[in-house]
Formats: sequence, structure tokens, C-alpha cells
Amino acid sequence: MVLYSFYIFDRHTECIYSRRWTPARPTSSSSKSAARPQSGASIASNGDVVAAVRKGMSHSDDEKLVFGLVFSLRNLVTKLGGADDTFLSYRTGEYKLHYYETPTRMKFVMLTDTKIINLRQYLHQIWANLYVEYVVKNPLAPVEHPGGIGVANELFERGLEAFITAVLPV
Amino acid sequence: MVVFALFIISKSGGLIYNREFHTGMSKLTSNDYLMLAGSFHGMHAITAQLSPIPPVRQPPPAATSPNLQTFPVRATGIEVLESSHFRIQCFQTQTGVKFLLFTEPQQPNVDTMMKKIYELYADYVMKNPFYTVEMPVRCEKFDRGLDGFVKVRG
Repeated sequence: MVLYSFYIFDRHTECIYSRRWTPARPTSSSSKSAARPQSGASIASNGDVVAAVRKGMSHSDDEKLVFGLVFSLRNLVTKLGGADDTFLSYRTGEYKLHYYETPTRMKFVMLTDTKIINLRQYLHQIWANLYVEYVVKNPLAPVEHPGGIGVANELFERGLEAFITAVLPV
Repeated sequence: MVVFALFIISKSGGLIYNREFHTGMSKLTSNDYLMLAGSFHGMHAITAQLSPIPPVRQPPPAATSPNLQTFPVRATGIEVLESSHFRIQCFQTQTGVKFLLFTEPQQPNVDTMMKKIYELYADYVMKNPFYTVEMPVRCEKFDRGLDGFVKVRG
């Protein structure tokens, strides 16, 4: 199993926690376009923007893209399947995105490789056993977390690390 | 085994075909369908961009002619989307046309179904001399072919 990244979004569309296990993308895309110079040419006919365009994008841009994406996908799913339908995950040729939303509209998103079963219940556990225990119940943490204040504390980080190595299916 | 619906989205994001085979999805107006198709088109492009790893090159077939190699390897966008009530299988052709198949979450063999639908599309839509590309698909034979195929399966 390969984990690529993990994001928590609060109900105000802000990314309050993000963690990634992949090297920054600009290096990977530049090495790729160096290997195949013809791929950096232009925007393809079917709207797929080639990887070279991504060079200038930072992590926070990625967070915004991920949020916008899961937000729209969630809306699409509820529109098509009715109000009680929930968006669970999607898979592309390269990665899989898992999604879990709490009743308070917090969104937990994890990007992994494609061969993994749905991680929704594990994301639920991260919320219930780690986030609620170490962030919500922390008397020093604010109620909201603008800019991620109070989320990335030591206990939460360590708990997440242990959870990922011990609990997630390999 | 339930197949709910088939959408075909043109390379510019317009909905050119939509067909419901089985009730179970919300009733929407045709305007809503157009909007959903357009937004799906955009989201598909974003998912391709978000890819954390470079796309893997397919191993070339044994007997390769040199011009087969000139396709740039691109990250694929959404291939399967799962929700608690249904599953969307998305197949994008080399020319950017997207086929969306809405099925039950546990539907097996969607890939082969998709291939068959693509064949029907190639046979009855693309080979129809009265069909203009990028325009809504109105081909009776395609409709009938789909009906026969999906009903037999369903």
C-alpha cells in the first residue's frame, strides 16, 4: 500500500491539516517532461492539461483543488442519487481518493494508490479516535481552527503516524 | 444487476447522449443533466491534474510500428466513482469523448459492457453518414442496440 497524502478540511472550506508522503511534484513532473520532451507541448484536445503546466503549483493550490473537487463531486452525487446518497471514493489510473464527511461537515480526504479497498471506515476512525480525542478535547485548542491552529499537535501527529503504520490495511 | 443510465459527453464537455435504462436515480430536468455533464467534464480534468505520481506508460505491444509510440502518456482522469447508491464508470476515448455508465455498486464486468457500448457507438453513430460530430446523438439503431444489450444483461 502506498499513501500519497491526507487532508482535513473544516466546514469553512479551509484546509486545517495536510500531510503528504510524496516528494514535491515539480521535481517529478520536470524529470518526466525531460524524458519525453514532446509531452510538454500544449493542452491536449480532450482538455487534459499536460503535467508541465503544473510546475508553478504549490501545496496550498493542491489543497484548494482537492477541496473544490470533493465539494463538487459530493454535490453531483447528492443531485443524482438523492439526499441520502454519499460520495465515497473515486479512482483514476494513477491514484484513488477516499472521502469521509462528518455530520459537522468536516471533510477527511486521503489519496492512496489504486489497489486499496475503500478507506471510509478508517477515515471515520481517524476522526473519532484521533481528531476528537486529541484536537477537539484539547482544552487549549480553539473551537475553530483558522489556518490549522491547534490541529497538528504532537499527540495527534504521533497518533496518526501510529494509526497509519498499525491499522491501515497493507 | 442494474444499469441505471448512460451518458456520453463530447470532447468539449457537452452532453450528447443521455439514456435512462432503469429508474432509481433522481429525476432531473434536461438542463440539470447538461450542467452535471459540464461540471463532470471539468472535474475529470482536475482529477487528472491532481495525480501525485507521473502516469505509467503502458507496455508497448510486441509488434510496434514507430508511429504507435508518438502518443504522449497522460494521466487518466476519474475512471470509477463510487457512492453509497451507485457507481459511475467513466471511459474516455483517445479523442476525448467520455462514456459514463451508472450502475449498482456491485455490478461486475462493467469494463466489458463499456467496450461493447463503445463498439455500438462506433458502429451506429460514427459510421452514420447523417451524424455530425459534437452534436446530440439521435440514431435509432444505436438506441435499439443499447436496449437489446442492456436488457439482455439486466
